[in-house]
Amino acid sequence: MAKEFETFARDSARLLSGQEVVMTLRDLSPGRTKYRGINVRAVVSRPPRPGEPTLWIRSVVGNRDPQPCSVRIVEELPESFEGIPYSDFFEAMQRAERR
Amino acid sequence: MRIAHKTEKSGEGKDCRNILSLHCKLCAQSAHIKKFNPEEMRLAHDDLRSFLAAIRKSGDLVSVDQEVDWDQELSGIGRLGCERNGPAFLFNNIKDYSPGWRIAANPIATWRRMAVAFGLPADTHVRELYDVYAEREQKPVAPVLAKDGPCKEVRIAGDKANLFDLPIPMVHEGDGGRYLGTWDLVVSRDARSDWVNWGMYRFMIHNERLLTGFPRPTSHLGKMLLDGYVPQKRTMPIAIAIGCDCLSHLAAAATFRIAGNEADLAGGLRGKPVELVKCETSDLYVPASAEIVIEAEVYPDRVNQEGPYGEYPGYRSGEMGNAICARVTAITHRRDPILTLDTTGFMDSSATSTSISGAIAIRRRLEASGVPVTAVYVPPEGGVHLAIVAVRKGGAEVAQKVVNTLTVRRALISKIIVVDEDVDVFNVSAVLHAFATKCHPGRGIHVVRYEGRANTLTPAYDQEERAARSGASVALDATWPPEWPRDGTPVRATLDSMYSPEVQRRVLERWSALGLGK
Repeated sequence: MAKEFETFARDSARLLSGQEVVMTLRDLSPGRTKYRGINVRAVVSRPPRPGEPTLWIRSVVGNRDPQPCSVRIVEELPESFEGIPYSDFFEAMQRAERR
Repeated sequence: MRIAHKTEKSGEGKDCRNILSLHCKLCAQSAHIKKFNPEEMRLAHDDLRSFLAAIRKSGDLVSVDQEVDWDQELSGIGRLGCERNGPAFLFNNIKDYSPGWRIAANPIATWRRMAVAFGLPADTHVRELYDVYAEREQKPVAPVLAKDGPCKEVRIAGDKANLFDLPIPMVHEGDGGRYLGTWDLVVSRDARSDWVNWGMYRFMIHNERLLTGFPRPTSHLGKMLLDGYVPQKRTMPIAIAIGCDCLSHLAAAATFRIAGNEADLAGGLRGKPVELVKCETSDLYVPASAEIVIEAEVYPDRVNQEGPYGEYPGYRSGEMGNAICARVTAITHRRDPILTLDTTGFMDSSATSTSISGAIAIRRRLEASGVPVTAVYVPPEGGVHLAIVAVRKGGAEVAQKVVNTLTVRRALISKIIVVDEDVDVFNVSAVLHAFATKCHPGRGIHVVRYEGRANTLTPAYDQEERAARSGASVALDATWPPEWPRDGTPVRATLDSMYSPEVQRRVLERWSALGLGK
């Protein structure tokens, strides 16, 4: 079965820009570790590119965009981002993206 | 400060010094302990397992032995249970996990189960539960320390800890991840004082050892973290205790004063002290009877994705990305552990628990502010956003004072219906009638707006309001204006208001004689 991930986006246009972006992926592989999170630098494609894992984008209220994407992971990042507690996670990812 | 230790041989309290902010049961709190009704003390449950046995006996627990999926299925069953005022569930066979792991869903999501948790008959009326809580809350009992406890039967060091070894459920389709802390008791200690906080806060798993959580920044834990640890760039130890006795969880979820120790409150609600044991990797103490304890350190300088999550107001509102991040340092648990789950949403366990503790806290605050309050009810159907306040004397000035008082520090309740004292606050039909007919659509609406202390989980707020924590609360005045003359005030067309006492008596006698009940 092809690998599938999902991600949550405040602004899905940023993910679909065709540029490398920083994001958190949830691994949807069945089993005990389903929904395990990884932080990555990756490129998202829509329509999905053959051979790449499928990516589903969810909104901040959890609604899933029915149009699938694919994701090419360029680099796995540390398990958390710099930022003081309660600071905006999406902004923390964008800061990491600029580095 | 002092704390009472339970000795291994005698089990009796012994004075000693300790670093925790807990009172000594032999001094300050001893008078309270002696006042307790021995019958009540006998009835309090020592742990989750004895409570589950009691609700099984009362017909309020269903055990499920067939395999059920941790990925939404068992939570969906629990969710439907909440929506249909159904039983609690004990899932004994969870897909992908050994039979040793179990999940108990929605321990006290109904007044019947809440009554059993208090050691009362399951059919006890909610009004009486409120009275019992209010009485016991006034009689705190300090915890005692034990050297060991059931929660230490299995110990897993941090480098061996793996959160995926626990059957942590995916509660709702579309949540940000699997949620561990839906019915928990999170222990933290203030960096600058002896204050120990117990709170109930949600935690999501990111990977084997990393958690993210959403104790709101205005919560006691959030305040401890931001005021005490973040400025010093220190990690904050926490302990997430799961599956303790229900009244300890109720105390953790309670609306309680800053610097108050919920462990004392739990002892008061139980009528006997909570036994605590020391954590493996910090100086925090957790209830010894806990089924599972996750010890962790909250980072002062790291963030990660948390949420979204279908929350107690009954919605997934898009609050995400403003959370805390913690790394697991140890896991301990009982043998054959039971993970507790609140299938969060409409009419969940937090609706009943916050209903009772929130209403009593509201009443006390209003009394302290000079509001002539006679009763308060927070109906679970209102998702902890609605309070009903009865007053001896109403009117615009009183309604405004009510909403001002209840929004001073943080504003979790956003709608308050103020009724006259002849309206039974526990009778939602009567309250709705009073609101619909007595609240003036122009003059009866009293709004307070605020910044920085709104409830970010309020579904009515847009994303900008949520980010700024700005919002509003309203008092809906369903009382008669006090300046109206009695002879000009409408009379309610109900049996108890529009008929003479003699006619009422005859009607009730006839009613009974017709076999229609009392």
